[in-house]
Amino acid sequence: MEILDKLINVALIAATLRTTAPILLVALGGSFTTKAGIFNIGLEGQMLVGAFFAVLGSIWTGSALAGVACGVAAALVFALVFAVLVVSFKANEVVVGLALNILAGGMTISLMKAIFGTRGSIVGHGIVGLPKVQLPGARDLLGSWAPLISGFTPLVYAAFIAVPLLVVCYNRTRLGLYIRVVGEKPEAAEALGISITRVRYIASLLCGLLAGLAGAHLSLGYITMFTENMSSGRGFMAVAILIFSNGDPLKVLAGCLLFGFADAFSLRLQTFGYPSYLVLTVPYVVALIALFALSYRARPRIIAETLESMRKLLSVDKNTEAGGKNPQ
Amino acid sequence: MSNTPGSPTLHSNAAMAVELTGITKRFGAFVANDGIDLAVRRGEIHAIIGENGAGKTTLMNILFGLLQPDEGSIRLNGEAIVIADPSVAIKAGLGMVHQHFKLVPSLSVADNVFLGMEIRRHGLIDHAAQIARTRDLSKRFGLQVDPTERVGLLSVGIEQRIEILKVLVRGARTIILDEPTAVLTPQESRELFQTLRSFVAEGMTVIFISHHLEEVMEVSDTVTVLRNGRKVATRPTAELSKDELVHMMVGREVSFDRRPRASLHGDVVLEVKDLWARDDRLLPALRDASFTVRSGEVVGIAGVAGNGQTELAEVLSGLRPASHGGAWLKGRNLTALSPAAIRQAGLAHVPGDRMVRGVDRNASIAANTLMGRQHRAPWSRAGMLNWNAINQNAETLIKSFDIRARGPGDAVKRLSGGNIQKVVLAREFTNGANFLLIDQPTRGVDIGAQEAIHDEIMRQRAAGRAILLISVQLDELAALADRILVMFNGRIMGEVAGDDADEERIGMMMAGVAAPEFAAETAS
Repeated sequence: MEILDKLINVALIAATLRTTAPILLVALGGSFTTKAGIFNIGLEGQMLVGAFFAVLGSIWTGSALAGVACGVAAALVFALVFAVLVVSFKANEVVVGLALNILAGGMTISLMKAIFGTRGSIVGHGIVGLPKVQLPGARDLLGSWAPLISGFTPLVYAAFIAVPLLVVCYNRTRLGLYIRVVGEKPEAAEALGISITRVRYIASLLCGLLAGLAGAHLSLGYITMFTENMSSGRGFMAVAILIFSNGDPLKVLAGCLLFGFADAFSLRLQTFGYPSYLVLTVPYVVALIALFALSYRARPRIIAETLESMRKLLSVDKNTEAGGKNPQ
Repeated sequence: MSNTPGSPTLHSNAAMAVELTGITKRFGAFVANDGIDLAVRRGEIHAIIGENGAGKTTLMNILFGLLQPDEGSIRLNGEAIVIADPSVAIKAGLGMVHQHFKLVPSLSVADNVFLGMEIRRHGLIDHAAQIARTRDLSKRFGLQVDPTERVGLLSVGIEQRIEILKVLVRGARTIILDEPTAVLTPQESRELFQTLRSFVAEGMTVIFISHHLEEVMEVSDTVTVLRNGRKVATRPTAELSKDELVHMMVGREVSFDRRPRASLHGDVVLEVKDLWARDDRLLPALRDASFTVRSGEVVGIAGVAGNGQTELAEVLSGLRPASHGGAWLKGRNLTALSPAAIRQAGLAHVPGDRMVRGVDRNASIAANTLMGRQHRAPWSRAGMLNWNAINQNAETLIKSFDIRARGPGDAVKRLSGGNIQKVVLAREFTNGANFLLIDQPTRGVDIGAQEAIHDEIMRQRAAGRAILLISVQLDELAALADRILVMFNGRIMGEVAGDDADEERIGMMMAGVAAPEFAAETAS
């Protein structure tokens, strides 16, 4: 019984890593735009076209890798359109983001109908999924814990490796520094001859790249199919996580792990026969509660400040007396 | 970086660091610079002085490539040059420290200094090398900073040092400073002047924009005076008196002296007791303030910007909650009232940031003078605005406050800073309030308008109003206030009578030294 429990725990954690990967990829993509001072609500749409074209590319070429490349290319086109409208033409980023999300939803449905003549989902048709990477020696090293590091698709590894890479990027590379400066103090960037437009384009395209990978993971990762609206709000959850993390990679990771865990947990609950509609709300409810808790955290601080000011109040009486002695 | 040169030879025909010839710049019909010639010798401190709107900043922006002149030419070190953008200016050895700092709060001092020209090793930014270089430069020129600290936590004075370091690290030999002392304490200003002298000692050239006469007299070798976009004169500072300088700036005599006054202190109108408040980051910003303001009295609040004055004004006007203590206006506790109720209770507020809280810049003068009284007769009847009465009233105010505008329908954004401020004063001073909270009344206002505003404040005093005057300009407080309270770090450090306001004493308190006797003790 104990061993069974353990196995379930390991499986749950492994599932958490799996479900975290797509939202982590797209949120890290959004980290670039957030840091560059763009509120990118279009993550959802970029992810969705990424998922669709990854399936399409995989069918056309028979290669999962080419499929991923197709998905990324499609997401990059969306990111480029977003950047042209928002950065060059200074359109409202929320309006453009929403429009592109709607476009992505409608476009994938229309193309599905035009190419495959079906609605709902694309299954079969020779979709090639991503292979699972079995790390050699993982089983020897970790025994029954091996599923925690081995047996994931490449994009799961990519998502988690991207976190430290982004940390280094923001702290130690010129591009990362410029992205932060452009977002935090654009006038400083301008004064130093850093092109705000260029940096924001690069950030938008990096975002598209990672959002495309996230989409490809959805449709070619553990299930090889595309369904309508398959990103199912992950892009929006990523936006919420970005707002609360301010795009810091480590905080993004924490937020995504929380969401991924709730997602994996809800999948597990489903197998126990709870009503799926309720169970599917779990990740979103958990995420909302967590975000609320984060913003609520500021409150005890106010109490602490009051105590401090009261304490100082008591100790300054002597000072004011000394000041009162001054001849006027 | 260039090597340290030997001591420069300065004779009258020494090479010119900067020569501007016939610079003209128009913005639409407005001529900001009208055929200005300026020659700055290498190795001198050259002050450019003039009222607001005289064209000082425009001229320097042209020199630095931020603006292109419509006519005229530029020579640097004798060579003609077209400065298409700031990068050209930087390459040519110019550096500019702007009035508004452009630093990134979340980055360290060293990161800010090297931003745009990072030292890299193996493609990654070499933080250690940047910190070491920053430390070297700051030692060499007496610009004390800790290179590892985050800029967001530092004071304005230190931010300015970082801006100067930024310019130095880019190899500037001619440094332009736009109103550098506006944000400094007298002591910090003195330190800055020493730094500027050390630049000149190393053969560099300093161009220094100011409208503060005394510091121009103190620090500069040569003065160029601008007025209404034209050059009035360039003269060696030693040959000039302060009066002559003022005369050249405004074209007429202006008194900076203490305003004559009769003592007419009446009842206590405002009583502030043990008042505490927090800033936006929830840290205590106003600590234990207690004072009174009587009718017919001007109480001045001195201090470097950001030492709790803003929070004090905001608490008194109901825009910020107090965390402890209270303020009573004619016996009513303001901290329990809404901004509207406080105004009803008898507060008039001239806010420090007039463009944000003083006016609606897109609305007309008439609409701006209406604000806050739109529910009252004769401006409205039965819920309908009476525009005849509103415009008539605005017309009267335009006359009595000498607002330079075409009429009540003029949008406020078309007016100059001084005239916008007069619109605010006209509205606030005619409200019948008996307590006037006046925050930075002459910030960014030219000398002519400053005088008119000071006159108006003295008239209000004579009419028996209680006035709390918050200002970062000591001469303004010395001219107007009956008593001056000095704030530092949210605390009132002490009080000085207006009659014997002494810059040294106030300056010590502004820098956080509690009582002057105490300072004397530690010095001996």
